[in-house]
Amino acid sequence: MTSIVASTRGLTKRYGAFTAIDGIDFDLEEGRIYGLLGRNGAGKTTVMQLLTGQIFPDGGTLEVFGRPPAEHADVLRRLCFIAESQRYPEDFTPAHVFAAAPWFFERWDAAFAERLVADFRLPVKRRIKKLSRGQLSAVGVIVGLASRAPLTFFDEPYLGLDAVARHLFYDRLLEDYAEHPRTILLSTHLIDEVANLLEHVILIDQGRILLDRDAEDVRGSATSVAGPRAVVERFVAERPVIGRDDIGGLASVTVDGRLDRDERIRAAELGLELAPVSLQQLIIHLTGAETAGTPEKEVAA
Amino acid sequence: MTATVTAPTAVAEPSSRVRPNEIWRIVRLHTVNPSIFFLVPALVLGGAWVITMVIALILLGAGVPMESTGFEYSWAVLSPQWYLIVVGVQAVSYTFPFALGFGATRRDYWIGTGVMFALASLLYAVVIATLLVVERATGGWGIGAGMFEALWYVGADWAIAFYTTFALQLLVLFIGAGVTTVFMRWRMRGMLTLAAGGVVVILAIIAAFTFSESWDELGRWLASIGLVGVFTLLLVKALAWAVAGFLVIRRATPR
Repeated sequence: MTSIVASTRGLTKRYGAFTAIDGIDFDLEEGRIYGLLGRNGAGKTTVMQLLTGQIFPDGGTLEVFGRPPAEHADVLRRLCFIAESQRYPEDFTPAHVFAAAPWFFERWDAAFAERLVADFRLPVKRRIKKLSRGQLSAVGVIVGLASRAPLTFFDEPYLGLDAVARHLFYDRLLEDYAEHPRTILLSTHLIDEVANLLEHVILIDQGRILLDRDAEDVRGSATSVAGPRAVVERFVAERPVIGRDDIGGLASVTVDGRLDRDERIRAAELGLELAPVSLQQLIIHLTGAETAGTPEKEVAA
Repeated sequence: MTATVTAPTAVAEPSSRVRPNEIWRIVRLHTVNPSIFFLVPALVLGGAWVITMVIALILLGAGVPMESTGFEYSWAVLSPQWYLIVVGVQAVSYTFPFALGFGATRRDYWIGTGVMFALASLLYAVVIATLLVVERATGGWGIGAGMFEALWYVGADWAIAFYTTFALQLLVLFIGAGVTTVFMRWRMRGMLTLAAGGVVVILAIIAAFTFSESWDELGRWLASIGLVGVFTLLLVKALAWAVAGFLVIRRATPR
């Protein structure tokens, strides 16, 4: 049995004439890792700000732990959200942040935080405005992990982190998540980096949900078919095509849905190459096509 | 979604309206970096004191008689105010978004910040009133210098110095924070409206007093309520800003 920790129906947020979030519905179940994916300006941070009560919706309903989050102390103390562009008090250092954290997060693990500081080699006595982008991301990652909040948000946690640090985040998150299950919503546009971490994918673009599915399903949900163009065209004729690349007489076409055994055999007989489509490639197909048709909305963003 | 999904988890216990721990942690958040409320104001005040001492030594060296030094016109005693209005602004522009990210409510944040302002004003008032008494007792730090024996503090006793400093301090902090809540809620449009509205109100008051020729009457009334009365007006104004800031911040959104 699982229960829902957050739920939205027709959730809408407008900034003047621009609709940042355009009537979205989704549920977050307890004890899962969600990826909130989308391009820059798709509305990822806005969704997180709405879920944490930092901004107020203009329409629809929003419940987190059974209530609208804004101004409900009993909801908010179960959340942890360090925004990608988080503001810190004047002249704060990471040491100040970690000193204050236990007053706000009842499950704060100071020893774990200390270990993470060493892992990420974070200079805790340096003023936050002097930190590099990667070090700033590390502050958010450490607070997010060590807070062990029942609903934790990571907003672009990979921004500026080097390869070692990204790997550390990945390892520490999975280790700690196994011992202390909680719901995690992680936003990023660096999709391949986090693809293996995610259990569920919510893809948004221009304030709408394009995809809300189990990550495992998404990974096997598209296939690319490559070979001589005429043969490929014949093979995919009956299938929904979501992407297409042509080079001379060759074509590589991405089709939605799985191929069954007979189709795979037929493809092999025709000399076609089949390849799985990565999460990132699939998302490029889904969001690239969508935005190409509506350039005027991009300007408004 | 999946078939195993049940109804949303309800919140276990609706928390009480009075949450001392939630409010006190905001006070602690303001003091976790002690330089903001304690160190920097102390340095500013100390710096102003050193400058006053140097000026006094120069005057002493030049043989200027003590009664004509003009120290009572010095604004040195008010020097930390300029910094503290910035502290009020930053409490809302930087610390407020941070506290929201840490799961504080706007209500608890504002009340906790108000408690912090009151405690800080109390501390500064005690310090300044005490230093005034010390300055007087030591004959101007032994060299006839007058940093605290200035402006309305001239001749004031400890209690009056304490009360007037406390009222002014609270007003300064709440104006800085209160004005910034307007920005946090309505951004630039709100700030311009507030500034324009403020100018209109001030002009209207000037016009009202000028046309009714009641400036003298106002002067007489202010004289009749005395120093304590005037600073009580400032204290009331500080509380008005506190209430207004509370109403505005309840729907304020950080960037």
